[in-house]
Amino acid sequence: MAGEHHRRPVETADDRIVAGRAADGDADAFRVLILRYGPLMRGYARRILNSSDEVDDVVQDAFITAWQQLPNLERPEAVRSWLMRIVAHKAIGRLRARRPQLDITEIEPPAPETASPQRITEQRSQLEELSAALGELPEAQRQCWVLREVAGYSYDDIAGELDIPLSTVRGLLARARKYLIVRMEAWR
Amino acid sequence: MSPQDDLPELNGLALEPDDLNGHTVEELSAYLDADRTPPDPSIDESPGCQLALQAMQRLRGLSAALAEADAEAEEKSARDEGWISRILGAIAVDARAGRRIPIAHPDPMADLGITEGAVRGIIRAAEDEIDGVIIGRCRFTGDVTVPDEPIGIVVDASVLWGTSLPTIADALRTAIRRRLAAHTDLNVQAVDVTIHDIHQLPAEEEPS
Repeated sequence: MAGEHHRRPVETADDRIVAGRAADGDADAFRVLILRYGPLMRGYARRILNSSDEVDDVVQDAFITAWQQLPNLERPEAVRSWLMRIVAHKAIGRLRARRPQLDITEIEPPAPETASPQRITEQRSQLEELSAALGELPEAQRQCWVLREVAGYSYDDIAGELDIPLSTVRGLLARARKYLIVRMEAWR
Repeated sequence: MSPQDDLPELNGLALEPDDLNGHTVEELSAYLDADRTPPDPSIDESPGCQLALQAMQRLRGLSAALAEADAEAEEKSARDEGWISRILGAIAVDARAGRRIPIAHPDPMADLGITEGAVRGIIRAAEDEIDGVIIGRCRFTGDVTVPDEPIGIVVDASVLWGTSLPTIADALRTAIRRRLAAHTDLNVQAVDVTIHDIHQLPAEEEPS
């Protein structure tokens, strides 16, 4: 079968192949993972950190840990959610280093602004509005919400990751949802 | 006055248990998480709950869209060569060398060997011989560090759409065996090829 070959770059392969190669030490395949999931992981880290600071570092750190741990990944086809967990863990670790105690008794944000005509004429997209609303949430609520809705964590996993009781997770999530729903519905 | 009291009237949407047929937002979220199963008439037949569920559903759709938009906004930074180089520069490729596999030599004083990582590289290179194959993870069964020990090779592979799977698998097995015979002393008993994905060529116009 010598002669002309089709190009078959690793980046056309699925996650199982790419992560499997990276686990075996293929740095080119690892680069494909960075290109494939770097944007998602960065966006996610930025949501958790609620700032642009340290996004570069946190995601870089997450990838370095991923490289070390890849040989232990049982199901390479699940590399995406596995990477999301690593970056969530790193981002939350970074927040914790900034402020060791997650304050779960933070005062509530003020009630969402009503849909005043002025507000509507601003014509911000719904996504911008949600983004802003997330930024207004108390940190503990925001972290729970992002872990749940963006990363798909179970309630148990959130409790473990944030080291808070399950009942607290439920309460924080309910408050975050209530705030966001009202905020977004008001804007509709 | 609690903060919730001065909320605007939202087309009938209200989120206190009085408005939700006695349910809480938390319960409704759990109901949504469970795909509304098992069906709960006290929720399904309550207009207040239905309004709240619809609003939650909208928020959910929006949340998924936001995650996508977040990723899109990061495309440029994530493709920054400087950033990628810093990551690749920080990973230890040598750490994947794995076990040392002995190679026999007529001189008993000679101590030759090849690393597991290098053998995996030899196996992966077999894909160059066959059109449309990409090799994934590669595992060994049996103790590769013991000379003459019967060894099995298990590889994952992906092939190009439209190729004959048995032909490709045979060709790959042959190529892997030949390469291992040429470069190692491994006593290869079996080469198992698992083909699990059929990939398509990338569109020509797509930048790589």
